[in-house]
Amino acid sequence: MNGGRLVTFLLWCYAAFVFAFIFAPIVVSFIVSFNSDRFPTLPLAEFTTRWYEDIWGDPTLWPALQRTVIVGMCVALISTLLGFGAAYTDYRYRFFGKNFYLALALLPPTIPVVILGLAMLVFLSQVGLFGQLHSVILSHVVLCTPFAMALVRLRLSQMDESLEAAAWNLGASEWRAMREIILPFTLPAILSALFITMAVSFDEFAIAFFVSGFAETLPVRILAMFQGQVSPRINAIGSIVFSVTMALVILAQVALIVRNPARARLAGADA
Amino acid sequence: MPASASASHDAAGAPGSGARAAARGRGPTLFGLTMGLPALVWQLVLFATPLVFMVLMTFWLVVNFRPTPDLSLANWSKLLSAGYFRDIYLRTFLYGMLAAGIASVMAFPCAYLLAFKARPNIRWLAVFLLITPFFTSYLVRTYTWKVILTGDGMVNAALGFVGLGPFSMVNNLFGTIVGYLTLVLPLVILLQLFSLAYVDRNLIEAAHNLRCGAVRTVFQVIVPAAKIGLVLAATFAFILSFGDYVSPTLLGGSKPPTMSILIVDVVKSGANWPEASVIAVVMSLTLLAVCFAALIFAYGKTGRRT
Amino acid sequence: MPEPLLTLTRLTKRYGDTEAVRGIDLSIEQGEFVAIMGPSGCGKTTTLRMIAGLEVPSSGEIRLRNRLMNHVKPWERDTPLVWQSLALFPFLTVLKNVEFGLKMRGISAEERRKRAMHWLERLGIAEFSLRNVATLSGGQRQRVALARALVTEPEILLLDEPMSALDAHLVVRMQGELTRLHRELGITFFYVTHSQSEAFAMASRVVIMNHGRIEQAGSARDVYRSPANRFVAGFVGTNNILRGRIEAVADGRVSVSTPAGKLTAAVPAGRAVAVGDDIDYVVSADSIGIGGAAAENVVQATLVSEQFVGSVVTLFCEAVQGVEFRVQKPQRETVGLELTPGGPIRIGWNAASAYLLPA
Repeated sequence: MNGGRLVTFLLWCYAAFVFAFIFAPIVVSFIVSFNSDRFPTLPLAEFTTRWYEDIWGDPTLWPALQRTVIVGMCVALISTLLGFGAAYTDYRYRFFGKNFYLALALLPPTIPVVILGLAMLVFLSQVGLFGQLHSVILSHVVLCTPFAMALVRLRLSQMDESLEAAAWNLGASEWRAMREIILPFTLPAILSALFITMAVSFDEFAIAFFVSGFAETLPVRILAMFQGQVSPRINAIGSIVFSVTMALVILAQVALIVRNPARARLAGADA
Repeated sequence: MPASASASHDAAGAPGSGARAAARGRGPTLFGLTMGLPALVWQLVLFATPLVFMVLMTFWLVVNFRPTPDLSLANWSKLLSAGYFRDIYLRTFLYGMLAAGIASVMAFPCAYLLAFKARPNIRWLAVFLLITPFFTSYLVRTYTWKVILTGDGMVNAALGFVGLGPFSMVNNLFGTIVGYLTLVLPLVILLQLFSLAYVDRNLIEAAHNLRCGAVRTVFQVIVPAAKIGLVLAATFAFILSFGDYVSPTLLGGSKPPTMSILIVDVVKSGANWPEASVIAVVMSLTLLAVCFAALIFAYGKTGRRT
Repeated sequence: MPEPLLTLTRLTKRYGDTEAVRGIDLSIEQGEFVAIMGPSGCGKTTTLRMIAGLEVPSSGEIRLRNRLMNHVKPWERDTPLVWQSLALFPFLTVLKNVEFGLKMRGISAEERRKRAMHWLERLGIAEFSLRNVATLSGGQRQRVALARALVTEPEILLLDEPMSALDAHLVVRMQGELTRLHRELGITFFYVTHSQSEAFAMASRVVIMNHGRIEQAGSARDVYRSPANRFVAGFVGTNNILRGRIEAVADGRVSVSTPAGKLTAAVPAGRAVAVGDDIDYVVSADSIGIGGAAAENVVQATLVSEQFVGSVVTLFCEAVQGVEFRVQKPQRETVGLELTPGGPIRIGWNAASAYLLPA
């Protein structure tokens, strides 16, 4: 069926085009950050690291990066804790209003960040929690907990239902069973959640823009840079941020796969 | 992500072996509360309350540059009767639909290929590649597109070498759509891929068996079977584009504005939070309505008999 | 008489409107091997879970050595379970799995290892002690589950269909091992299963459950040969059951009219029967003979089909009015008889082989 093979070949070309479209900005951003042209165009100018040196010396960026890292770590910790508890609750218990509970826990990512940001701004100002680092932490946890919960819940659904009861049966109290059985089993998902939530917080600019006031995080600084000096410095920051978040995501995937080789096969074997 | 099915299942209603059944009939325990309460409290206080508060604020008035509690419909009537507001609303809605449509169409051949023709290894690699963009800065990606597409940027320079252009690709609808696609395309491909991958292969074989050509099979068998996932993907694309601030600003030139740009403007110039809240609530209601409609469409009757 | 080890009194479990277990009474002595059998949904697993503390009874009592257990938490009981899915902890080695129960009791590490190794040796899997459980075969994993349950030296061992995941040849071997273990240890085994062959092979006492009630409890032989009611007769063994009415009672024989004609059975001991009673007429498939041998009950039938399972042949026959009879014979006894599907076959049995059950 020659027509079929031609079509398949064309489809592959098309897919390559689509992927090129998706990755073009990422790749170009890297290239531009090492390019000496302030307004990049073709042909490319000479290789340089001056944009990186620029941001290295920028006094406003270091505090912003620091804040972003602190926020990221706090958010990772808190949302993984909350997400784990919520996932376990969903896994184990049935109760009145459970659907409402799940909606509360899982909805935030479906709400446009502009709306969430505005709501947080308005609310936090009223209760005097606005414009500080903790404003961003509080808001980001709301957004990131669903990711942690989903990851842990997925892992829990892979657990033999009888495992926890077997631990009880052998003399472990609920707390002990949690420590000896559930936590070790869900460890890959917990690690994954820590990395993913940190990555999400690291990149989040909209809510941070609304609530951080003067305690700007790095993404908010980037946003501010659009108003003033537009230059490949932005690409330089972007490349660094990209590398950091990519490292986190890769670590998350590795954590899941190393602990559970079956999952890698699962991911590859559809239907 | 299938919920674990219980192995032994007493037909008289007992839900399977293991831990879950043991929880019933005991009432809330300290253990259970410790697990479940923190997330509940946090989300109630810091997610539900701000949203509810924002709705309440739509009824407040700005007095002496400060929002003060009130029960007035002034903000609502002002915005809903304003011509510019309706324009912006319709435009944003249209943009969202456009983005959802273009993204769905663009993604489908890709998702189809990966679901049916690619080896599992390639598929897994593709999934990994598609997840990557979520964790890169959307801001920087959009900015980079601006750099690439601008008047004397890379694309126009390349086109210039072969005597074409220059084309105006930023500060207009084209740029905005490119931005939206950067935002939603990976997600749409992933969602379509997952739903296509789960289409029962027997259906397709049966269709081929009944001498249904490949293209017809796609449109009359596969698409209806994966309908729910395809609609879900399009809905997410709409939600994300409808609420996006960055693409219309950086790549669309901010004029004419979208709803999100309007919110930011209103907040920045004079902190008229009540008015901004009205815009936000209108957006939320629209999104709820669209989700609802999408659900009904997705779970409605599949396919027509010819 | 020593007090029973475990007593269930009017034990009931309700889920919303449905009753999974309806007021059962059972008394189990120390050292018995009790098998609970029944179709899916009969309540046997729910009963087991209540004994283990994984479900709280809706009403009734569970007493272990006369101690009321209804609200005792699962981890405060000493009722280890061998799970249907085995429920071995996948991230622990075999040794750590087996040690788990001891660890929960605060036994020291060396003592734990000693006791765990003792049990692993006893079950013949000591060489796997440091292996991950996922690398073991089905039969080996079963033994790990057993060792894990027995290491705390409980008075009663609960088993929930533990062989359902094993290959058939392994099942037979494990049955032998379980019987041997039971004899050596002298503890009580409470074994839930839906398989008749398992129950009858190992248990000293068999309990048949249906729809949340106990239909019959007794020795394997009693249940097999003297079912108490129609359900048990239909569930256990291969029995032919015909609905009928008593026509006459005389000379130690009861004459019954059934769809297959007039048949005779022995007068049931200890139960009064009267002319006109509706009863179920039961004759087991292996009590029926083939051919023209003189018998009190003879039925002319057509052979429909034969089924071979191992060394036993089951002949499916159809008599007048479509009444079906199943006849079971060792295969060697059917050699030489000319049996052709569709052909005629005469089957017969003595009245003493048949019995009556209340309808």
